[in-house]
Amino acid sequence: MVYSLVPKLRLYIRRYYYLALFWTISLLSETALAQETERAIFRTDRINALILVLVFSTVVIIYTRWARQGKTLFLRKIPGLEAVEEAVGRATEMGRPVLYIPGISELDEIETIAGISILGRVAKITAQYDTPLTVPVRYPLVLAAGQEVVEQAYIEVGKKDSYDKDIVRYVAGEQFAFTAHVNGYMMRERPATNIYMGAFFAESLLLAETGNAAGSIQIAGTARPEQLPFFIAACDYTLMGEELYAASAYLSHEPIMLGGLKGQDFVKMLIVFAIILGVILTTAGVGQWYIDLFRAV
Amino acid sequence: MKTTVPIIVAFVAGVALVLAFFFDQRTLIGSLSQELRIWLSIVGGFTLLLGVVSITRVNFAAVRQRKEGWFYKLITLISIFAMAIPALLPSSWSPLFGRQSGSIYDWLFLYMDAPMMATMFATLAFYIASAAYRAFRARSPESTLLLVTATVIMLWRVPMGEWLFEQLPGDIPFFLNTYIMNGINMAVQRGIIIGAALGAASMSLRIILGIERTYMGKG
Amino acid sequence: MQQMDRRWVYLMVGISVIIPFLLPMTLPVSITPEARMLYDFVEALPDSSTVMLVFDYYPSTIAECEPMTIAAMHHFFRKDCRVITLSNIPLGGPTMAEAVTRAIAEEYGKVYGVDFVNLGYKANYVAVLSGMGQSIESIFPTDNSGTPLSQLPLMHSVVNYEQIAFIFEVADNATADYWVSIVNAGYGVPMGCGTTAVSAPKYYAFVDAGQFVGLLGGMKGAAEYEQLINRQGDAMVGMGAQSLVHLLIIALVIIGNLGFFVGGIGKRRRIG
Repeated sequence: MVYSLVPKLRLYIRRYYYLALFWTISLLSETALAQETERAIFRTDRINALILVLVFSTVVIIYTRWARQGKTLFLRKIPGLEAVEEAVGRATEMGRPVLYIPGISELDEIETIAGISILGRVAKITAQYDTPLTVPVRYPLVLAAGQEVVEQAYIEVGKKDSYDKDIVRYVAGEQFAFTAHVNGYMMRERPATNIYMGAFFAESLLLAETGNAAGSIQIAGTARPEQLPFFIAACDYTLMGEELYAASAYLSHEPIMLGGLKGQDFVKMLIVFAIILGVILTTAGVGQWYIDLFRAV
Repeated sequence: MKTTVPIIVAFVAGVALVLAFFFDQRTLIGSLSQELRIWLSIVGGFTLLLGVVSITRVNFAAVRQRKEGWFYKLITLISIFAMAIPALLPSSWSPLFGRQSGSIYDWLFLYMDAPMMATMFATLAFYIASAAYRAFRARSPESTLLLVTATVIMLWRVPMGEWLFEQLPGDIPFFLNTYIMNGINMAVQRGIIIGAALGAASMSLRIILGIERTYMGKG
Repeated sequence: MQQMDRRWVYLMVGISVIIPFLLPMTLPVSITPEARMLYDFVEALPDSSTVMLVFDYYPSTIAECEPMTIAAMHHFFRKDCRVITLSNIPLGGPTMAEAVTRAIAEEYGKVYGVDFVNLGYKANYVAVLSGMGQSIESIFPTDNSGTPLSQLPLMHSVVNYEQIAFIFEVADNATADYWVSIVNAGYGVPMGCGTTAVSAPKYYAFVDAGQFVGLLGGMKGAAEYEQLINRQGDAMVGMGAQSLVHLLIIALVIIGNLGFFVGGIGKRRRIG
C-alpha cells in the first residue's frame, strides 16, 4: 500500500535529489517559456475534471480506510460471480476443462486488466480442484501477464507441479482467426464451463453461441454496451459494465477492495443527484450555467 | 523488492499520466502521456516475438507428438511462416517480397485473409438467428418487452418493414426513432457507459494505489 | 416447434440471403434524421474544402462499412472537396483506402497528390490522433506509398486539424470514441460517424450531444446515404437480403413462442 511506502519514497527522494532538481528546473523553465509566449501551462478549462478526480479519489480512499478499520460494508449479490465456483465444480465433476477468455483487447485496456485479475481468482479455484484450465489469448503482453497470474495462483494453492506454461497460450493476433481457433477448441474439447471476462467485439456472439452448442455453462462479463445483448441472449450469466470491474474485488472478499467499490457507488449517487438537479434546473429554464459547469474538454 | 518496485512504477506512472491531463501538451509533464504511449508501442513490438514463440512451440509439439488434429496445426505453422517470411524480406530482392501491391503478403491478405475474415463475420447472421429463436421467449414481462421491442426495431430497419409500418396509422418510424432509439436506448446506453467508466476509474485508482495487485500475479 | 434443430435455422437463413441475389430487388429506404443530418452537413460544406475520410474498419465488416466510404467519396468528389484518407487499422486499412479512393478518383478525373492523398497507417492511434493536432507531417512524414508529404501539393496547405473542415470516421470498433474525445473535444473539428449496426445504438448519444453531426448505422445507413446522393450501390442491393433475413428471424421468434405457449398449455393439461 502507498501509505507504507512514504518512508521509502523519502529515501528515494534523498537518493535521487539531482533527478528531482532537474525536473523542477525543467518545469520552471517551461513555466517561464510559457509566460513568454503566452501559453498557459495549466489547463484551467479542465478544473471541473480535476475536482471530480479529487472527490472520487478522496471518497474511495475514505471508504478503503473504513474497510481496513473493520467496518462492515454491504454488497448486493452478483449472480454471475456467485456461479463461478459452482461452474468450476461442475467442470471438475464432468472431468472436462474450463475455458477462460480474458477478452480480445490489449493489456492497456482496463477491461483486459480486469479480466486478468479475475483469471487469477478463477485459476486459484481450478488449481484447488485440479480442473484443467485453458486460457487462449490474442496479444503477447496479455500472454505474459496471464502466465504470471496463473502460475502465481497455482503456487499460492500449493500446486506448483500441476502448473503448465501452456495453460495460457497465444492463439492468433487477428480477431476472427482467434475466434475460429476457440470455436474449434470448444467443439472438440467440449469444455464444461466457459468464462468470458473482458473486452469483446463482433466475435462475442460467435463464441457464446458455439459454447451454447457445445453444452457449456457460460458466464460472461464486458463493459461494451453493444456486446451485452449477445451475451445476455446466449450466456447463462452476464456481468454488465461496472460489475466486471467489481468482480475482482467481489471474488477476493477482501474488505479493503470492497471499500473501493463502495466509494465508487457513492460517487455514482453524487452523479445521479447531479443529473436530477440538472433536469430540474433545465426544465425551469435556468440550467445553462449548470450545464456549463460540466462542459468537457 | 519484487512486489515493491512494480507498485512504485504503477503509482508514479499513474499519477504522472493523471497530472499530464491537466497540463498543456507542450510542457514536459503535459507531453508525458504521449511519450509513455510511444514507450508502450515499443515494448509491445518486442513482445510480438513472445506470441510467435508461444504459438510455434504449442503447435510444433502437437505435430511432433501426432496429437489429434496435428495436420491442422501443421497448416497453422506453415501459414505463419509462409506469410511472415516473404513480408520481412526486402522488396528490392523481388517484387514478390515486402508488403506492397503484388507481393505474396498482399496476395495472401487480399485473396485469403480478407475473405476468410468476412466469412467469419458473416456467420454472425446464422448465429444471431439461432440465438434469437432460442432466447426470445415470452417467459416473463421483461422478456416479452425485450422480444416485442427487438421485433419492432428489426422491422423498422428494413424497407419491407417500413412499408408495413406505412400501412398502419400514425408515424411509427418517427415514434421508434424518437422515443425508442433517441429516448430509451440512449438513456440506457449512457447509464451503462457512465457506470462502466466509473468502474474503470475505480479499478484504475485501486491499481495506482497498489490495492489491486492480482493483474501482476500477486493476490 | 420450440426445439428446432439449429441447422434448419441456418439453412433457412442461407436461402433467405441467396434468393435476393438470384432475384435482385431494390427497395427504397426511408431516411433517418441522423443520416439526413450527416448528408446536409457535407452538402453545406464549401466546395473545395479539405476533408478527412478515416478507414477504421477491418475487412470483416467490409459489407457494412465500405458502401459508406464509397458513397462518401462520391459525395466529396462531387463537391470538389480535397480528401485526405488514413487508417488506424493495421490489417488492411490502408489497402482498402487505396482500393476505394483510386477507383472512384478515376471516375471524376481526380489526381493523386492534388485532389486526394492516402496517408496510410501509423501505430498507436491515441498518439496519432493527438499528434495530428500539432502537425500531420510529424505523424505521417510520408504517404502510404512512401512519398514525402512535402512533395504532395494537397498537403502544402494542410498543417493540422485547423485546415480540415470535416472528418468522416467509418469504424467498426471503438476508435470512434477516441476521435470524439481527442479530436472533436480537443480541436473542435466537426465529425460524422459511420459504423456497424451493432455499434450504432451507442452513438445516438454522441449525435444528441452534438459531438457527431450525423450517423450512419450499418448497411441500412449506407443505403440511406446512397439514396441521398442518388447513387445505387452495394448497400441498396444488400437491403433485399437484409429484409428477408429480418423477416425470417421475426417469423422464427413467433414460431418459437407459439411452440413455447402451446407446449406449456399441453403440459398443464397433462398434469391437470
